[in-house]
Amino acid sequence: MPPMADTPLLRLDRLAKHFPVGGGWIDALTGKRSHVKAVDGVSLDVRQGETLAIVGESGSGKSTLGRLVMRLLTPSAGQVLYKGRDVVAMNRAELRQFRRQAQIIFQDPFSSLNPRMRIADIVREPLDVYQDGARADRPGRTEALLERVGLTADHGRAYPSELSGGQRQRVGIAAALALSPELIVADEPTSALDVSVQAQTLNLLADLQASYHLTFVFITHDLGIVHHFADRVAVMYLGRIVEEAPTETLFREPKHPYTRSLLSAIPQPDPTKRVDWQLPEGEPPSPLDPPSGCSFHPRCPHAMDVCARQAPTLAPVEPGHRAACFLHQPVRHDASSTGMPS
Amino acid sequence: MSLLDVRDLTTEFRTEQGWHKAVSDVSFTLDPGEILGLVGESGCGKSTAAYSVMKLLGANARIAAGEAWLGGENLLAMNDDALRKLRGDRLSMIFQDPATALDPAITVGEQVMETVREHLGLDRRAARARALELFRQVGISDPERRLNAYPHQFSGGMAQRIALAIAISCNPEMLIADEPTTALDVTIQAQILRLIKTLLVNERRSAVLLITHDLGVVAQICDRVAVMYAGRIVEVGDVQSVFADPLHPYTRALLHALPTHEVARGALATIEGRVPGLTDRPGGCSFHPRCPHARPICATELPPRVRPSPGREVSCVLHAADG
Repeated sequence: MPPMADTPLLRLDRLAKHFPVGGGWIDALTGKRSHVKAVDGVSLDVRQGETLAIVGESGSGKSTLGRLVMRLLTPSAGQVLYKGRDVVAMNRAELRQFRRQAQIIFQDPFSSLNPRMRIADIVREPLDVYQDGARADRPGRTEALLERVGLTADHGRAYPSELSGGQRQRVGIAAALALSPELIVADEPTSALDVSVQAQTLNLLADLQASYHLTFVFITHDLGIVHHFADRVAVMYLGRIVEEAPTETLFREPKHPYTRSLLSAIPQPDPTKRVDWQLPEGEPPSPLDPPSGCSFHPRCPHAMDVCARQAPTLAPVEPGHRAACFLHQPVRHDASSTGMPS
Repeated sequence: MSLLDVRDLTTEFRTEQGWHKAVSDVSFTLDPGEILGLVGESGCGKSTAAYSVMKLLGANARIAAGEAWLGGENLLAMNDDALRKLRGDRLSMIFQDPATALDPAITVGEQVMETVREHLGLDRRAARARALELFRQVGISDPERRLNAYPHQFSGGMAQRIALAIAISCNPEMLIADEPTTALDVTIQAQILRLIKTLLVNERRSAVLLITHDLGVVAQICDRVAVMYAGRIVEVGDVQSVFADPLHPYTRALLHALPTHEVARGALATIEGRVPGLTDRPGGCSFHPRCPHARPICATELPPRVRPSPGREVSCVLHAADG
């Protein structure tokens, strides 16, 4: 079925990824092995040309989500729909097309670049693998890509170890751009970089997005970057989305208590605005043994009885703004419901 | 009088091409009950400067010049035994990775008790009571049970709390905290910073030297800030004034490069070029190749250290009286 005009570029439908943990083969055979629900029922739409930020702390499942989108991991349940097609069900030709159109940029540009290849060869590799355009044109195109991300032909002759962290991240970006993608998943692309280099990298990404009408899924823990860069934000906690809203709305009127404490915990670089940190109690629970009901309830200052028993669904609080919290939705009166389809 | 007075500290690293200055002519003071932020990008020498004060340097490093006075004693002239005693009694340290400070093979309770027995001369029973009290102070729930756990059984945030418990156990006069929250999530970071402020500054009037790359952390908890670039302190002042009116072009650029909601959407200010490496630091003012205000003299001469107002100091010709 051809995609309709209003089909989002990317749709996640009740997406889940459970990893088996611990136990040996005996536990596996006897069914005793437990699972971490790294991603646990995520539904989201990403529209063409927008930047959606996925925000969360460690263990929230945000990186697993990025890998599921790229089909680097296979979902345990649910679907990743790219232009309306399930990426798991794609045939060879479709998958090849998907792999050209969707690219990922990783946090650590060093471990994602082959140390034995020259920079120009790394950037050119996707062109060779996909036999993209005439072979004779590829050196020129490689040089143009390097130039586009602010590197020179000299950098092209160097090896990854000879470049700085910021330059290596530019190489990762150039390689991701080689096949003219539509979707870029950026997984903490600037967290390993210093402030001044981070600013250069973010400006480059914004510039490329405007030039090529790219769609970004931007995975980060840094809310300053989110506010600067994203159109929409989804906040994850322990494998689920707890709130989703346009960026300005989320920062102005956060609804979920976790979002509120996350926002108040960011140290603002302004000494005239010192905050009395509204800190959530305790540590995030282990994803191995998540709390019942709403997984934030043990740390939540507003927790009610129902929060330990039922998991709130991610429901609209205003058009375009969803939150999974009983403060903002009626409590369902069937006690057996857990709120999540199994 | 200042608790710590560091004067003209210069520390060198050995490379294949010989000795190179990682820290040059660094001077600063630290008062009791004060948090000084030592801030800068990677490779600026902020950690090396702090480790030099404690004389905790590797074999490839040497202190080439300088003094670090704590009370009437020059730490840099002390012998190793005296300094080791001092490091437990009066000075302590926490690191980015708390595992660095904890022995993986010994229960955390034993580690805290060992410290207080050695430095405070407590017997086993009193040491255990003290360890329990410290665990409660740093916010570890169920402390009796946690005393018997090993470091790997704790999350990064909990391990940092234990490192902090050990660090405060002897009521140090000064704590050096090297990126103590960089590896932690923001909600945990806020908890640890709040503990440092309450337990050390408010309750003990200890001084804290906080090494960080995060200007948000500096703005939130430091009293004063020293900004480092390429081994030198380029600007010092109280946090309110430095953030409101940064004097050095590097400080200004760094503050403007931060993505925050205060900044309108659009291009972030950047600093052209990159931080020079240890072996290719330019002559004159190290920042001159990247500075929008550079003059010919900046390439040849070290900038003067100017005090434009009480408590503020900047190394830049723009602020020299005849500039």
